[in-house]
Amino acid sequence: MKVFDNPDIVDGESLSDFYEKLLSQVPDLIFKIRWNSDSKRYAIIFLSESINDLLETPSKVFITDPTKYFRERIFEEDLQPFISSLEKSRKTISQWDNIFRVNLPIKGLRWMQITAKPELKPHGSVSFYGRVTDITEFKRQEQKLHLSEERYHYALKAASEGIWDWDMKTNVVYLSAQLMKMLGKTEVPAYFPNTFWLSRIHPDDMEAYNKSKTDYFKKKNATYESIYRVVTDQGKYRWVLSRGSVVDYDAKGKPARVIGTLKDINLLKEKEVELGNTINIIVSQNNRLNNFAHIVSHNLRSHASNLKMLLDLFKTADAEEREEMLEHLEAISNGLSITISHLKELVEIQTEIKNVREQLNLRHYLKNILNILHNEIKKHNVDIEINIPLDVTVNYNPAYLESILLNFTTNAIKYSSQERKPMLSYDFEIIDGRKILSISDNGLGIDLKKHKNSLFGMYKTFHKNQNARGIGLFITKNQVEAMGGKIEVTSELNKGTTFKIYFDEED
Amino acid sequence: MKKISNLFVIDDDKIYHFLLKNLFKQNGIDVASTFFINGHDAIEHIKTNPSGEVLPDLILLDVNMPIMNGWQFLEEFNKISGSLAKKPTIYMISSSNNEVDINKSKEFDGAVKGYFLKPICKEDLEKIFLY
Repeated sequence: MKVFDNPDIVDGESLSDFYEKLLSQVPDLIFKIRWNSDSKRYAIIFLSESINDLLETPSKVFITDPTKYFRERIFEEDLQPFISSLEKSRKTISQWDNIFRVNLPIKGLRWMQITAKPELKPHGSVSFYGRVTDITEFKRQEQKLHLSEERYHYALKAASEGIWDWDMKTNVVYLSAQLMKMLGKTEVPAYFPNTFWLSRIHPDDMEAYNKSKTDYFKKKNATYESIYRVVTDQGKYRWVLSRGSVVDYDAKGKPARVIGTLKDINLLKEKEVELGNTINIIVSQNNRLNNFAHIVSHNLRSHASNLKMLLDLFKTADAEEREEMLEHLEAISNGLSITISHLKELVEIQTEIKNVREQLNLRHYLKNILNILHNEIKKHNVDIEINIPLDVTVNYNPAYLESILLNFTTNAIKYSSQERKPMLSYDFEIIDGRKILSISDNGLGIDLKKHKNSLFGMYKTFHKNQNARGIGLFITKNQVEAMGGKIEVTSELNKGTTFKIYFDEED
Repeated sequence: MKKISNLFVIDDDKIYHFLLKNLFKQNGIDVASTFFINGHDAIEHIKTNPSGEVLPDLILLDVNMPIMNGWQFLEEFNKISGSLAKKPTIYMISSSNNEVDINKSKEFDGAVKGYFLKPICKEDLEKIFLY
């Protein structure tokens, strides 16, 4: 079946009629205006009938007084830029492009865009061929988008969240301005290779980071979520919460693009850590309270019960017996006052104002203690080795430092072995910014398997030694902990013991 | 009433040793008593004399002692009690009124017959020696 006949180039309709019909189907306003070099004015040559829709004025009417209609229709603020852009286009013979608002009797506010191509004619005249398009719908969409983008932007900013966009094909990641700011960089979005991001993650958190990523990709988790630390340009680590999801897959169904947010949760994490520390403090204080209870329950009670038994016996005792009993009464009384002084010592550790700290020269303090113990050291013929640099200082309570050094030194001498020449060494080191003093001896040693848990407890002694009171280590431990440090012990029976004192350094 | 001829007192408090001796004397309790100041000394003494006359019929055991406390003594004693010529009655006597200690003595069900709180009085002795 043949639809088209042979060409018929003379059907009788004029070309201008044909164009006019064509133009009537175009919603845009098609126009031609000319600038006359003689009159220095513009004249409208042609306006398509779409002007009726666009500007709510018939073309014939508009042409009668374009200046009046332009003034009437175009927004006052937009009129000047409208004319300026026209003039500029004419002078430079470059594309005329201007967006302006009109106020129409029926439709009200509409956005229009005018574009036209100027052509320079003989005698200096310029003709413009162009169109006016109603872009109101487009503008509204644009505004809506802008508004929602704005909201999103402010919401993210308020939530201190940044955006990342990882293109897995190129392995490039986009970081939003907010995210750049979190890294301590200028608040401008940027692109980086993904390796840049990986290099920022704390080594200790790498495993967890990788796990949450693969778990998500393997569809074990519905969303990607991971908490880890990233280092800022200033070299500080901050805790962040990263969340994301795949937005694009490649032809094989593998993730190709992931978009997500990054939230700074440093404050929250710090609080969490603080809470953990508080719990530790409470636990250790609780332990001290238990020790108090122990002293009250055991030591004070034992003196009291001895006293009661003694008095009961005293009533029916004869003169000779009574005399002996009085001697024991004195012993009970002495024991009681020693226990009370221990209690007092403990109470002082608990209540002493902790900020009584000074920068103390460790070596200097140790020398003083060794001077005090000079006779003991001589008597036992102890070899002493000190490996503490001259300038080492610790921020410590002076009385505590003396008491700690004194206790460990006297213990080491007290529990030295009869079988060999006693040796005692003091070694100082700094590990992870913490100052540590190790005090090592070659004495009797302690069976840590048996005694580890009670080593620092109250009234615990582990050697058959007449001088053992079992209070020294307990007090020492409390003092070290009150200063925020800790004590570690390693020991081998009949080889020796090393106590490591960690000084607290919260610089 | 079981005849008690040999008594071990294991307690680090020497004043208590003296007081106990006097309490026995005033109450007419005539018994051969051996005093130890910790569990270790007592267990060594028993180990070196596993048979015969020196073994105790009765042990009065303290809880808190240096070197080897009451609980450690009981653990050691349980290891060797099977090979001993006679099985002593054990009472724990302590100034600890801590519930943990009192309850713990019940865990040594077969070995520990009772838990007495210091000070010990005449009535306590009657309970210990008359049953």
